[in-house]
Amino acid sequence: MSITWERIVLENRETILHRWHKRGLDLFSGKMAPGTPLSEAFADAMGMIIDGFDEDGDFCREGVLRMARILALHPFRPSQSMSLFLELLVILREFAPDGEDIGVCRERVERITLYAFDSFVEHREKIYQLKVEESRSAMHMQLRRGRS
Amino acid sequence: MSKYLQKQADLQKEFDEKPSSLKGDYAQKEWWEMPVEFREGNFCFPAKPEVIEELGFPNPRKWSVTEEDWQLPEGWQKTLMEGMRERIKKYRSLKLYLDSCVRCGACADKCHFFLGTGDPKNMPVLRAELVRSVYRGDFPVVEKILKGFAGSRRLTKEVLREWYMYFYQCTECRRCSVFCPMGIDTAEITIMVREILQLVGLNNNWILAPVANCNRTGNHLGIEPHTFVQNIESLVDDIEELTGVTVNPTFNRKGAEILFITPSGDVFGDPGVYTMMGYMLLFEHIGLDYTISTYASEGGNFGFFTSNDMMRKLNAKMYHEAERLGVKWILGGECGHMWRVVHQYMSTMNGPANFLEEPVSPITGTKFSNAKATKMVHIAEFTADLIHNNKLKLDPKRNDHLRTTFHDSCNVARGMGMFEEPRYVLRKVCNSFHEMPENTIREQTFCCGSGSGINAEENMTMRMKGGFPRANAVRHVREKHQVDSLVTICAIDRASLPPLMRYWNPGVSVYGLHELVGNALVMDGEKKRTEDLREDPMTGFDDKGDDVD
Repeated sequence: MSITWERIVLENRETILHRWHKRGLDLFSGKMAPGTPLSEAFADAMGMIIDGFDEDGDFCREGVLRMARILALHPFRPSQSMSLFLELLVILREFAPDGEDIGVCRERVERITLYAFDSFVEHREKIYQLKVEESRSAMHMQLRRGRS
Repeated sequence: MSKYLQKQADLQKEFDEKPSSLKGDYAQKEWWEMPVEFREGNFCFPAKPEVIEELGFPNPRKWSVTEEDWQLPEGWQKTLMEGMRERIKKYRSLKLYLDSCVRCGACADKCHFFLGTGDPKNMPVLRAELVRSVYRGDFPVVEKILKGFAGSRRLTKEVLREWYMYFYQCTECRRCSVFCPMGIDTAEITIMVREILQLVGLNNNWILAPVANCNRTGNHLGIEPHTFVQNIESLVDDIEELTGVTVNPTFNRKGAEILFITPSGDVFGDPGVYTMMGYMLLFEHIGLDYTISTYASEGGNFGFFTSNDMMRKLNAKMYHEAERLGVKWILGGECGHMWRVVHQYMSTMNGPANFLEEPVSPITGTKFSNAKATKMVHIAEFTADLIHNNKLKLDPKRNDHLRTTFHDSCNVARGMGMFEEPRYVLRKVCNSFHEMPENTIREQTFCCGSGSGINAEENMTMRMKGGFPRANAVRHVREKHQVDSLVTICAIDRASLPPLMRYWNPGVSVYGLHELVGNALVMDGEKKRTEDLREDPMTGFDDKGDDVD
């Protein structure tokens, strides 16, 4: 990450977070209020990604994981969910000084998006895994009853 | 590419044509114009025809929620409207709740399903409005004059789909009622609408199958008496192996002082079985004269989610059994809705149980005057009283491998106002206990998201959404205090919170309160304890060294 981009993210953190958060809430129906736990969890996760934007560290990854965990539960198509991460690039571009190379920033956002996709899929799978575990347990009970 | 894979163009067409509140097409529309879409993960399967037949309920048939034709009986609108009128006349509370809402919106953001889904129809005010709008339309003149202004509407198939979806997305937790300035209990509306929906055969298999089982065998799982005994005996063996102590439960013993009834999940389900082991260790520790019934072998009451009559019938079996066995009073285990039924409805529905005695602890002599009418004492109160009177030998260090928080079960907290007793017990049996944020505990507790019979695996996505506010509060104490154990006193919680934690907070395990009591009890004649009831190693109690005293 270049020093310029680090500075841009640092200096405009609140505005970037506010705009990105708003776009995140736009995914939901119009009644999702900014003060709800879901919205706050979204804001926290986005804040973690922005704060860890300059490095590929655990903090950023945790933020991505938390967002993916929420998105995986909602009936958005995967592309729609992932578009939220690409929105970050659109927002950051608005702060870029003229002539600043956007390539390095794009590369970072794309890496975050790919990681988010993996995490999103893992969480969708996890929902099925939980269903299977419950079905297995129910079947176990049926067999036990049958045996008796 | 697989020949079964849907073409991208088809997917796009489906997305364009299928109504969805997520596409933003409904921003300017009224709430009743929002589409109802049943999709995988947001509904429970309907009851099987054989289950409905067994119970003698109307319209048994095989049908699917996602199909257009729900195979409703002839004249279904008339049946439902008459059912609604009859209940409004019979239950004054329902009429009051339908009439008195002023749409202030205080309840709007209090529902865990609204907070987890963002779906406006999950605001309690709007959920109730789904039925209120039809109730209002039942006055033809008013409707004619005020149509549009009054928000009245006719009972159509679309409205019925809304009722089915949203009244099975309410867990009857009553958090909204805590904040309602008019005292409206939206859960009571849900209870009534579900009862009305039964009239045309709209129901849920995860509720009705346990009801049928309980009706037939005495417990939700349909376990026959001999299997019930076998299972408890296998837990007795486990206890002996772990602690070296032999506990001696008795079954159907006439003349015992106390009848102990707990949810059958404690006898058969993981992690409920460890709670059952805890109960038995406790009773052995104090030498309690108790018996367990293999006929009234269920504390839970899924009749409560079905109809008032069924609730009354399933509740009555506990009292009939207590009378048959000639016990003095009933001790109830860790359960949620069992206690709401007992505490709020039993005394006028089936009681007063004058053939039993006002409960007095045989160990401490404490009179439980709060249970004067129901003759049934909550195990957390009973144990708190034992601890308060120094009747238990406890070593809380035996739970030092756990960092705990406590989840107030909705029915016990809001339904009977029990907040402090379980916390008192928990503080005495373990050294690490941290509260979740104040607005998520006690009377403001958040539901597990799976109560009131919607804990079906096919409803998993909705359960994870509905449980999000609770999980979020657990995350808070996990991050702040490294909490890894969520303690609760409800069998449905013990079934539903483990998957919720696995999804939102991996690494957090779920425990029953009396499991931790069982860990901490120092029993006479016990062998050296190194493992808890789950056979997990206790900290500082390894085989090599002595206990850290």
